[in-house]
Amino acid sequence: MSASATAESLTSLAARESRGGRRSAAAALVGPATIFVTIGLLLPIIILFRYSLNKFVPGRFMVDALTVENYILFFTDPYFLAAFYRTLRVAAVVTVICIVLAFPLAYKLARMESRYKNLLIMLVVLPLFVGNAVRAAGWMTLFGNKGFLNVTLEWLGLISEPIRIMYTEWAVIIGITAVNLPYVVLTLQSVIEGIDRAVEEAAYSLGANPWTMARRVLWPLALPGFAAGAIFCFILTMNAYATPVLLGGPQFVMMGPLVYVQFAVKNNWPFGAAVSFVLMSATLILTAAANIMVQRRYRG
Amino acid sequence: MSALISIARRRLGSWAFNGIAGAVLGFILLPLVFVTWLAFFRQAIPSFPPEGYSLKWFFAIGDNKKFVEGFLLSMQVAVAAMLIGLAIGVPGALCLARYRFWGREGLSSLLLLPLVVPGIVLGTSLYVFHVEAEIVTGLPVLGSVAAMVAGHILIVIPWCVRMVTASLAGFDRGIEEAAQSLGATPLTTFFRITLPVIRPGIVAAALFGFVVSFGNLEMSLFLVGPGRTTLPIAILQYLEWRIDPTIAAVSVLQILLIGAAMVATDRFVRISRVV
Repeated sequence: MSASATAESLTSLAARESRGGRRSAAAALVGPATIFVTIGLLLPIIILFRYSLNKFVPGRFMVDALTVENYILFFTDPYFLAAFYRTLRVAAVVTVICIVLAFPLAYKLARMESRYKNLLIMLVVLPLFVGNAVRAAGWMTLFGNKGFLNVTLEWLGLISEPIRIMYTEWAVIIGITAVNLPYVVLTLQSVIEGIDRAVEEAAYSLGANPWTMARRVLWPLALPGFAAGAIFCFILTMNAYATPVLLGGPQFVMMGPLVYVQFAVKNNWPFGAAVSFVLMSATLILTAAANIMVQRRYRG
Repeated sequence: MSALISIARRRLGSWAFNGIAGAVLGFILLPLVFVTWLAFFRQAIPSFPPEGYSLKWFFAIGDNKKFVEGFLLSMQVAVAAMLIGLAIGVPGALCLARYRFWGREGLSSLLLLPLVVPGIVLGTSLYVFHVEAEIVTGLPVLGSVAAMVAGHILIVIPWCVRMVTASLAGFDRGIEEAAQSLGATPLTTFFRITLPVIRPGIVAAALFGFVVSFGNLEMSLFLVGPGRTTLPIAILQYLEWRIDPTIAAVSVLQILLIGAAMVATDRFVRISRVV
């Protein structure tokens, strides 16, 4: 064996060893988090699915079984179907309003180059993390019979009796729209930031007015981003909890509160698990669809 | 003349556009403004216009046991979840950012999954998981503080990944290689080069992890044991009965706490780069 061959095999051995070392280092770093999320999230979701196939016998609580009757019940019972359609209706209305309202603010933020930009983004983000219950409290101050809105309308002479806003579908729609707007604004902002400003200027220099530019240049380029933002908004509404409970009241049942009542009040774990699983499947499928759309357009 | 009209029209259009953008921002902030206003009312009923202003509701918070206990439990859980979440999340994030290996994308999605799964679903899944864990181990898992902390760690981990990844963006690996070629051991390289670079990311992850855990409502609803509440749950349960300046004062404290944590986060990692 020649000396050079030995040296070569030694180097390759060292390289392999260091590659192995790096691999074990990587495993040691990411291992704990992976194990934690797998056992702490994936396993629970599997158990949830298993529970959804069990039977609920009043008086005897949960009985082991392998049946899809909880799912069938959800999609056939008029009460649950009504909650399902109500949720979809609210989600559709909120999504349309959010997309329309979010665009001007998102565009302004995306094209802004002042030092106030970060401050404005913080103002958009702050309500997100303050929590939905606190924001609902703000709307309750506005919507009550002696709330700001009714008092102002009466003072202006537009109404003579307070109008009922609390515990209506519109109160919930307004509340959830305000909750979701920051998410939609941030999604659209990042999409618009990814579109080169030069294409807008090119349109202007060719004689387009702002409306034509928006319709013929910006809109087609931003369309997948708009779709992703809309899907995101729809998902958030489907999973809303605090806002429908506080602004809609106990009679206004949407999917999120329905799951909670089945679990915590009715103790019907199998049915609660089934509804929860329907919610999660819809959420994950729609999220994947949104990701694919954004990736195909902006990263591919 | 027609050029003048077209300029005027364009100016008007851009004012209208700015006006709408400002109004939308106002709409987002409106509930926070009103709940803050209500906290300073003198009368206990939220009727307009207020009869006068007072600070007494802020002093009265301490007398309400539910809010004090809820605040203490939220603090306890958020600090514990944040520390443990950092301990396992930051190394994981570092690995995802630095190594290229098969399945990296999938792993990254897995660690970010707790952000995608809705709070209600997280809560129900963990609830049934705790039921099964209690049956298998015989330990009082369901409704325990430890189980709640474990749930909150799940929602801290994705923010560790996001913050550390953001702090490493644009980092030149050549610096590390230079250190090693100058004789530094991997450990020295980590403490002298890598750690200083990701330190802002770690601080930001700590603050944001605290914020998302402290403010969590939906998942926690399923995890609190009997007789226990976190602050967001105490606020929700109070609001199901009534709205008054007391609850508004509590809300203002929550807004201030979370706002302060966010401003502090922004000093380390620009908020606009991670949300």
